[in-house]
Amino acid sequence: MQVRGNPHRLEEFITASTGDAKILNPILHADSASSEITSLVFDGLIDRDENLRFRGRLAERWDIYEEAYFYINPRAPVNGGKVSGAGPLRDLILSYRNTPGKAAPPLTGTLDNIRDIEIIPPEKGQTDIRIPGPDTDGDGFPEPVSVRVRYNRPPRLKITLKKVDQDFFSNLESILGKGYFETFPSADYIEILTQGYEDRLQDIARRVVPPVEHNPVIVFYLRKGVKFHDGHEFDAGDVKFTYEAIMNPKNLSPRTADYEPVKRLEILNKYTVKIVYKRLYSPAFGTWGMGMLPEHLLNAEALRKEAESKGMDPDKFTLRDSDFNRHPVGTGPFVFREWKSDQYIVLDRNEDYWEGAPNYKSYTYRVIPKPLNQAFEFYGGAIDNYAAQPHEVARLKKDPRYQSFSGLSFGYTYIGYNMRRELFKDKRVRRALGMAIDTDKIIRYVMYDQAERITGPFVKQTDYYDKSVKPLPYDPEGALRLLKEAGWKKNSEGWLEKDGKVFAFTLITNSGNELRKSILTIAQDSWKKIGIDVKTDLVEWTVFLGKHVNTGNFDALILGWSMGIDPDLYQIWHSSQTGNNQLNFVGFKNKEADDLIIKIRQEYDYDKQVQYCHQLHRIIADEQPYTFLYVAKWTAVLDKKIVIMERLPSGEKRIKRITPTKTGNYMFYFNKWIKLPFEPVFEAG
Amino acid sequence: MTQGLAEEVSRFTEAWRIFKKNRLAVWGLVIFVAFFIVAVAGWFLTTGENPVLDPAKVRLSEKLLRPLTPVNTEMVKPGDRPLFGIYLLGTDDLGRDVFARMMQGAWVSLTVGFVAVGISVMIGIILGGIAGYYGRVRIKFMHVLCLIAFFVSMILLASGQREPALDSFVIALLLAGVSVVYHYLSVRGGAPKMLEFLFFDTFSVDTLIMRFVDIMLCFPSFFLILTIVALLPASIYNIMIVIGLTSWMGTTRFVRAEFLSLREQDFVSAAKAMGLSDISIIFRHMMPNAIAPVLVSATIGIAMAILTEAGLSFLGFGVPPPHATWGNILAGGERFIFDAPWLMYIPGFSILIVVLSFNLFGEGLRDALNPRLRKR
Amino acid sequence: MFSFTVRSFFQKLVTLFFISIISFLVVYLAPGKPSQIDPLNPKFTPEDLVRYRKEFNLDKPLHVQYYLYYRNLFSGQLKSWKDNQPVMGKIRERVKNSLWLFLVGTLITWSLSFPVGISAALRRGSFFDRFSTFIAYVLISIPGFFFAYILIELVVRAFNVPVIGMYTFGMAQADTIYQVMDRIWHMVLPSILMALGGIALLSRYVRAQMLEIIHEDYIRTARAKGLSSDVVYYKHGFRNALLPFVTMFGLILPGLIGGSVIIESIFAWPGIGRMAFDAILARDYPVILTINFISAVLVLAGTFISDLLYMVVDPRIRL
Repeated sequence: MQVRGNPHRLEEFITASTGDAKILNPILHADSASSEITSLVFDGLIDRDENLRFRGRLAERWDIYEEAYFYINPRAPVNGGKVSGAGPLRDLILSYRNTPGKAAPPLTGTLDNIRDIEIIPPEKGQTDIRIPGPDTDGDGFPEPVSVRVRYNRPPRLKITLKKVDQDFFSNLESILGKGYFETFPSADYIEILTQGYEDRLQDIARRVVPPVEHNPVIVFYLRKGVKFHDGHEFDAGDVKFTYEAIMNPKNLSPRTADYEPVKRLEILNKYTVKIVYKRLYSPAFGTWGMGMLPEHLLNAEALRKEAESKGMDPDKFTLRDSDFNRHPVGTGPFVFREWKSDQYIVLDRNEDYWEGAPNYKSYTYRVIPKPLNQAFEFYGGAIDNYAAQPHEVARLKKDPRYQSFSGLSFGYTYIGYNMRRELFKDKRVRRALGMAIDTDKIIRYVMYDQAERITGPFVKQTDYYDKSVKPLPYDPEGALRLLKEAGWKKNSEGWLEKDGKVFAFTLITNSGNELRKSILTIAQDSWKKIGIDVKTDLVEWTVFLGKHVNTGNFDALILGWSMGIDPDLYQIWHSSQTGNNQLNFVGFKNKEADDLIIKIRQEYDYDKQVQYCHQLHRIIADEQPYTFLYVAKWTAVLDKKIVIMERLPSGEKRIKRITPTKTGNYMFYFNKWIKLPFEPVFEAG
Repeated sequence: MTQGLAEEVSRFTEAWRIFKKNRLAVWGLVIFVAFFIVAVAGWFLTTGENPVLDPAKVRLSEKLLRPLTPVNTEMVKPGDRPLFGIYLLGTDDLGRDVFARMMQGAWVSLTVGFVAVGISVMIGIILGGIAGYYGRVRIKFMHVLCLIAFFVSMILLASGQREPALDSFVIALLLAGVSVVYHYLSVRGGAPKMLEFLFFDTFSVDTLIMRFVDIMLCFPSFFLILTIVALLPASIYNIMIVIGLTSWMGTTRFVRAEFLSLREQDFVSAAKAMGLSDISIIFRHMMPNAIAPVLVSATIGIAMAILTEAGLSFLGFGVPPPHATWGNILAGGERFIFDAPWLMYIPGFSILIVVLSFNLFGEGLRDALNPRLRKR
Repeated sequence: MFSFTVRSFFQKLVTLFFISIISFLVVYLAPGKPSQIDPLNPKFTPEDLVRYRKEFNLDKPLHVQYYLYYRNLFSGQLKSWKDNQPVMGKIRERVKNSLWLFLVGTLITWSLSFPVGISAALRRGSFFDRFSTFIAYVLISIPGFFFAYILIELVVRAFNVPVIGMYTFGMAQADTIYQVMDRIWHMVLPSILMALGGIALLSRYVRAQMLEIIHEDYIRTARAKGLSSDVVYYKHGFRNALLPFVTMFGLILPGLIGGSVIIESIFAWPGIGRMAFDAILARDYPVILTINFISAVLVLAGTFISDLLYMVVDPRIRL
């Protein structure tokens, strides 16, 4: 029907969304519709490939290395006090590196990693630093205050490392002596000028004259000859501009926190950018997937001109006010054509795209608020893909006209136990509670099979997730055995009892989420079956957070996390995050896990990171602070006539079936999609 | 009085005789009564701590079951099972019993219709009565000032500006006081001449009310209701009140017209001559004669209110949970048109049948009570 | 005649003034915050809130806001809060889309109601009369969106064609003939749905009017004179029965905005009704108010026109 009299329809991709985009600017938007459009119009320096590993886009390649600093510690006797001063210390370290056999592993690796050592002379001056002050507005978080400090820094060594090495200083101590860095008397070198902060001398001194400093450095080598849609060439200036636009407080960018660890950004040449970070923080790398803005259209001068032409005050005119946000210009595979509010956004393919133009001539993003209307349009052929609702999955999967794809979402649902409470301190008890619940039944009856089991805290489709960890079996008998080991025995009434106390607690969740509510009932039921007296409660969301979660005032609760790909688990699992208003509200504290969590966020080597993550996953799965339940699945449906078409160098076209990547992303090869006038027949396999 | 009563009775039998001839209207009446019974039964069965039919019980494992499906005893606890262990009308996307929800919806929908129409009829009768009876009285300039000051203070209060609101309220009180004193003095014949300019006649009461009716009729009614309901916090009361407050204009016009003609009739003049008070003339003598068209329009009004609520539900601004109405069951079921069509067809056709019966009954009533049509 | 026109016009203006006040108050006194201030967005500091309040004049006293709003409306400077686009431009574009539906719907209403109403009246009590009466009641009793979905499902199931929106996306390159067909096809369902309620009401009204005329003395006289019933009814009766409807032409104007919210939402028709609904959702006060104001103007203009028409067709009326 669609194609009759209109063969061009095959070259247009039309999709629908329930909501309109808000602002088509990659550094300003905060909604998924805008994100979807900007990801087609703009390119980042990097993105993730089909295995969720980083790959270059506007950056052809990159280097990551480190600049490490430490101050000469006058109090620490090196080599029995024979070596003092910056110069001799440098020579000492170099002599260890250059003399074979003088150092043993792991020190050898550390020393081989050194590219260069530089001496930084002493330095005097004044600075204002911001430190957390008292919580004046009562929201549970300290307000920052500014403190003026005079400093007189001693000489310092700057060591350039070939690779980021989070163990650099600890390994170096085998030359300089144990505690060399820790005993550095930072406080001797500063004087606090602002009254009233004398009691925080140590804290402030560590901030102004830190004994050691890791400064990871990323150098991006940009792709040459990439052009914005208006023909202007993309270069390092645009990267710098984008970064500065995000950090400009006037622009109110919601991405500011991501770029806070950046110390400075330097342009080395037209195609090279160097980014220096304040500290080891590997998740920061992923933020360079941010779409790059064209500096020539948005710099101060351009904005001033725009403001003047609109008769507005140039001083108050910010990036947020610019027409650019409704007519974006990027470097991406699609060029913005038109946006009709609440109706549609149309993009044309970028014929000059550096990776080759997409197959589709245009991309139309329609706003259809009602899912039912989307379904009608999909059946009528007026939109090309459709996100199936759970109840529709079975029917649509059977429909011969469509191909369907399922994938896991980035989040999971769990039962969390308050480990501060005596009841849940024993990991055998937590494990037994998990074993008493038939999670497969929840998935089958409550989720209608649109979910999968999960065993740990990482996104299941990433490498970080350890697939060798087995989910807890459903085994009420085994659970009873474990509880017996932990001292819980059935009393005459059939309840579990220990030291004269019945095993009883309250399981809560927020009201308004029917899924969680039915899990609540199922859990209560399963636990009652093995003799645990469970009460349940549904609490309104704000009260749930304010009175229970944030203050740690609960026994057990049902909640869910939605996660990013990055494996940084600091906020949710680190023992320092167990206070009020923090996310480790179950009070999970494990020394080994803490170390791994820190190592993961400081590690820049992918394989090592994966290895640490697997270790952490196993620890958490063993400890069972949560009963990990499931991760939900999504299903998308597509006309069977849509295929992947590759153009071979010979000019021949080859057609392939669309297959989702390992991570379940079926749109990964979207730029190669095209619709055929007929339904293709693929050979088996 | 007895004669009046006899006349009432004969009028009733006469109307009933005509009404009976209209088969559609009789059917309408039958369904109308049946709906009342269902609604009352629904109220008894679905309210209380442990209702016989629990319309709010969610059983996620029992989603979207067809009508007449028995309950899955493995997954559902005995206390959560539907009446007789069977889902008479199936379940919705949360596994709630559609039959229980329809029963609850019956009385909630009826209440919405009744209260909304009650409000609109009340306003209509009062304003229409005043316009019809006191229509010729002219409002004094001073009173206009007083009214304006009063409204300004109300508006300021609503917008949160307390102090100016108080100021203008005091002004309104002062103006009211002045006019009370003035009237007291003028009754005794000693009103000060210098204040006379404040008490000249302006427009009539009838003009005031009927202009107001005109103004209200200028708003697109559904859009106005939607705007207000959307801007106010979601609540069943707001919906009833807003529908009531935006649909009284027709009743006002009816009542006014009736009163205008009744006022000229002999029995009113006689009552006035006997020195009966205005209140008793209006309520004891005129109102019973004007009530017939009001009843008819109220019947149809309830039907319209049910439809309006359904429309609001469709747009997402209907009666909020936990109350089920036929409108929000219907609106909630629309997503499942392919996979669970009963979720749409059951409430949809129920609304159709009930609203149709209200309309047919109302029209039949109008024909039976309208003497002009009776002649034909 | 002239004095009546002037007086009526003046009266309408006064009414309009009061309407402007009431609709302003309804919108501004209701709780709720305008769209760009999103309380859930933690990036929005209290200072931004103040800035936005200032930008939208929300910090000024009510009467000043009222003045600024209507000044901006009449000078064409009024901007939507949602996307900073001029309100009148947005409305103009949407009205254009709604106009098609409205015109076709009205055409269907009027061209169907008269034959149905007249036939029913002439054959009073016949099966056709009773049947059409019943159907008319069904049509006004069925929830519009319920009926719409039944029709959509039938059409989508039976023909597998898109019916949502004004046209099928991706047709821009197709032959003109296909594009025209596509447009017409998309218009069929919504315009029929728009027309149904009108047909039900209007045909009942035509029937009643016709019945009244049939019983008038001059018709009876004409029939007594032996004229054929067709001549009598259509030549004499129909013409007189038609008179009141001429005046109704004015009254259909407001339907352009009021009646379309639900239908346009169902069909995702980018018309004024859906825009009004979106504006309500986003608390876009300028757009809500302007639409309210325009529809009031349409009502008043409609009654004004119908008053004038009434005077023209029936010179006995002098208000």
